[in-house]
Amino acid sequence: MLKQGETKDRQRDRWTERRRDREITFSSHRSFHAASKWLCRSVALSLCRSVPPIFLSLSFLAGCGGASDSNGEATLTLGAYTPPREAYSKAIIPEFQKHWKAKTGQEVEFQESYQGSGAQSRAITSGFEADIAALSLESDVTRIAEAGLIRHDWQANQYRGIVSTSLVVIAVRPGNPLGIRDWADLTRPGLKVLTPDPKTSGGAQWNIAAIYGAALRGYAGVPKGDPRAARGFLERVLLNVSIMDKGARESITNFEKGVGDVAVTYENEVLVGRQAGQKYDYVIPRSTILIENPVALVGAYVDKHGVRRVAEGFIDFLWTRDAQRVFARYGLRPVEAATAQEVAAQFQPAGDVWKIDFLGGWKRVSQDVFGANGVYTKSFEELHTAP
Amino acid sequence: MNATRAREYSPASVMPLPWGRWSLRAVALIWLGVMIALPVAVLLEHGLREGVVRFWAEITNPIALAAVKLTISAAAVMTLINAVMGTLTAYVLVRYRFFGSRLFNSLIDLPFAIPTLVTGVMLVLLYGPQRTLGAWLEARGIQVIFARPGIVLALLFITYPFVIRTVQPVLMAIEREQEEAAWTLGASRWRTFTRVILPMITPAIVSGSLLSFARALGEFGSIVVVAGNIPRSTLTAPVYVFGQIESQNQMGASAISILLLALSFALMLLVDWTQRKRGGEHVAG
Amino acid sequence: MSQARAEIEPQIELRPGARKRTERPRGLEWALVAVAILYPVALMAGPLLAIVWGALSSGFGAMARQLTSPEAVNALKLTLLLSFAATALNTVFGLVVALVLTRDNFRGRRALNGLIDLPFAFSPVIAGFTLILLFGRNGWFVNLIDALNLRVVFALPGMLVATTFISLPFVARAVAPVLRHVGQEQENVAYTMGAGYWRTFWSVTLPNIRWGLLYGVSLTFARAVGEFGAVLVVGGGVTRFTETATLYIYRSLDDRNEVGAYAMVLALAVISLCLLWVMEYARKHAQDE
Repeated sequence: MLKQGETKDRQRDRWTERRRDREITFSSHRSFHAASKWLCRSVALSLCRSVPPIFLSLSFLAGCGGASDSNGEATLTLGAYTPPREAYSKAIIPEFQKHWKAKTGQEVEFQESYQGSGAQSRAITSGFEADIAALSLESDVTRIAEAGLIRHDWQANQYRGIVSTSLVVIAVRPGNPLGIRDWADLTRPGLKVLTPDPKTSGGAQWNIAAIYGAALRGYAGVPKGDPRAARGFLERVLLNVSIMDKGARESITNFEKGVGDVAVTYENEVLVGRQAGQKYDYVIPRSTILIENPVALVGAYVDKHGVRRVAEGFIDFLWTRDAQRVFARYGLRPVEAATAQEVAAQFQPAGDVWKIDFLGGWKRVSQDVFGANGVYTKSFEELHTAP
Repeated sequence: MNATRAREYSPASVMPLPWGRWSLRAVALIWLGVMIALPVAVLLEHGLREGVVRFWAEITNPIALAAVKLTISAAAVMTLINAVMGTLTAYVLVRYRFFGSRLFNSLIDLPFAIPTLVTGVMLVLLYGPQRTLGAWLEARGIQVIFARPGIVLALLFITYPFVIRTVQPVLMAIEREQEEAAWTLGASRWRTFTRVILPMITPAIVSGSLLSFARALGEFGSIVVVAGNIPRSTLTAPVYVFGQIESQNQMGASAISILLLALSFALMLLVDWTQRKRGGEHVAG
Repeated sequence: MSQARAEIEPQIELRPGARKRTERPRGLEWALVAVAILYPVALMAGPLLAIVWGALSSGFGAMARQLTSPEAVNALKLTLLLSFAATALNTVFGLVVALVLTRDNFRGRRALNGLIDLPFAFSPVIAGFTLILLFGRNGWFVNLIDALNLRVVFALPGMLVATTFISLPFVARAVAPVLRHVGQEQENVAYTMGAGYWRTFWSVTLPNIRWGLLYGVSLTFARAVGEFGAVLVVGGGVTRFTETATLYIYRSLDDRNEVGAYAMVLALAVISLCLLWVMEYARKHAQDE
């Protein structure tokens, strides 16, 4: 390159001199100055190329960081399980945003994540900074509490932290061509049963608990109060399980696609599916478990993001009549007494409905049924790995 | 640019690397160290954190073993099919000239470009029970999606180009003279193929097959959509690891991950060895 | 190592003097050709057509509406952002690694060679998992991250690292053989004529390897766009924020939004086809040189 004021001749001379130097000594002139100059250039170049993207992602981050309550905007992160996806994103969240704006003038933006309850719980304890955890079962929230992220007693109110309930039901093809009436019918040879995987799905755990509990209560055609018989019954049902999806939603959508003969699922999943135009019927077994879905404030992250006020406002909102009515609209049975009365006609009556307390509460069930030597775990293993 | 000269004689660099060989070297080493060595290290540490006994228990967990066995067997079936069809396709592409062969050659790499999840979704869309083709097959008792054929199909799709692309260059380098010599000596076409060509391309077929096998071991995106999660029939190892990650058992995830990693890595070393034995491009390092 | 070799190395050229080797098929050989063509058609054409049909089955309008919804647009933007960033990083560092592999001679070089191929041996889920082990709440770097007030896992930086990791080896593996092939004569000549290292690299080396480089870059980009398992584990799937195109497809199928899912699949397929075209173009030119 021609230097300033330099002629072509001078440049040629300069180059000749340089070349002569190098031809004489082939070894490099190890100039530390040149080395560092080159290194700086290459680093700078790579940074330049990746800085815009990194900038963008950092700004995403800043946006995700959750502006604090004090200015006119806040961001709440919701970590939920899959079935109430429509309920939250289409109705409850927009209504809350309106309600909160009217009440405090503050705009709230929501970031929502929906996956299997167990998976979501794991994600939160691994670093997913959800401000609010709306999960399928109590033990998934307990796990977050035990990780030190929930420091208050989240079950302290009159509803014990439960925002909605549902039942475990059996979804069947239109018209119930196979004549499924109760749990015992699930053990028919050759019947293809769908249920999600309890490792990742809260719904699956409710399903298994329901089957096991109903058997123990004598509604499955096996002697009442006999754990061995109940376990045998569970095994016979598991024998017919052909696919185990990651979550309750995946399970029911597969059923809709024509897979399987029956699906064990939440009542609200079936109702939402029917709202979406899917055609199937469902049967409420004579004895089934009451699914109770908890919601909790994840204190550690809420304080980190500085959104405690909004988050508490959101959680309180979930028990108002408006929100409970939304739950009912999406197939979930409300817990608030007056609303429950109001919508009673929407839901089919059920026979023997019992809570997880019958099996000793989720703490016991996590161990005795789903633990490493639990009833379910062992049955499943034996079933699928016996020679 | 005389290509042959470059291969036979590679002059050492008269011009040294940017003064201070270590500047470039350091960058490369730090990058690889941070990006690769670190994840491997953390995986090993986590998996072996609670001792070898626990590690062994996780690996010999019956469900885990069933998943690994299924993965290996599905991959093996797929590899066999791939080896045969891949060699055939490579031969056809190299030896014959027909309308559309150039286009065909370009489209072979399509599975490299398509996301694996998309592959899975496409297969479900085509073979799912509700679709005409799926329903037709089910009526005849063949279940594709959520059953083993679906897994093998997905794997075949994804590893389609491997054997073809390893065998093609070797076939192209084989001189016609050898083939023609065999013909003039009276060998039939088939005999020529098996006695003359096949031995020459066998290392390439083997390395291509091993590569597709290694690739299939880790396949996730398509399998998770197409398979059904039932151990011994439709639960593969990567999907099992996924389940373990998302549930109570991260230790199990680490243990099986280490196993899969070791397996894949061993396979790739094997491939490297076979290619080197062929006297391939490595020698001039 | 060699998985990469199969995927990305430009094919070796003919020895000088070799005769033309293609011929028209005769008789029974047409059967061979037919089998060779029908197999991929049966394997791949069916599913591809099924996607097109599925996307357009509710009409072009519905598909367009789905693709222009904020979730879809954000998902595509995120995918492209991550892919560009990962490709940029991998191009620069891949070039450095390739240079060190071919032009430098030191003791640990064989090990380096092996190390590069390791991401091929990783299942994407495992890759995402190791990132959680490193940067999660109980990870190795948790203190550092807290101190810097960063969010890595379940946020964009984590997804960027995952995508970069998964697509790491392609550029290095595509460029190294070309570098080796090209040899150092021209660079030496440039040096003796007085050019500095940077000048030589820019004006001599880079043009020589440009087709191999383009091939590697397009492969990297394609791989990054198609990444699913790793971002599923590391990303958290927060709609509009950490949801890539592939995650959007996965979620839409859950949401019973089939049109949306297939529309996005079609969009990704179009991107893939463009990348395929670039790949083949680069490979052909690399072959010709």
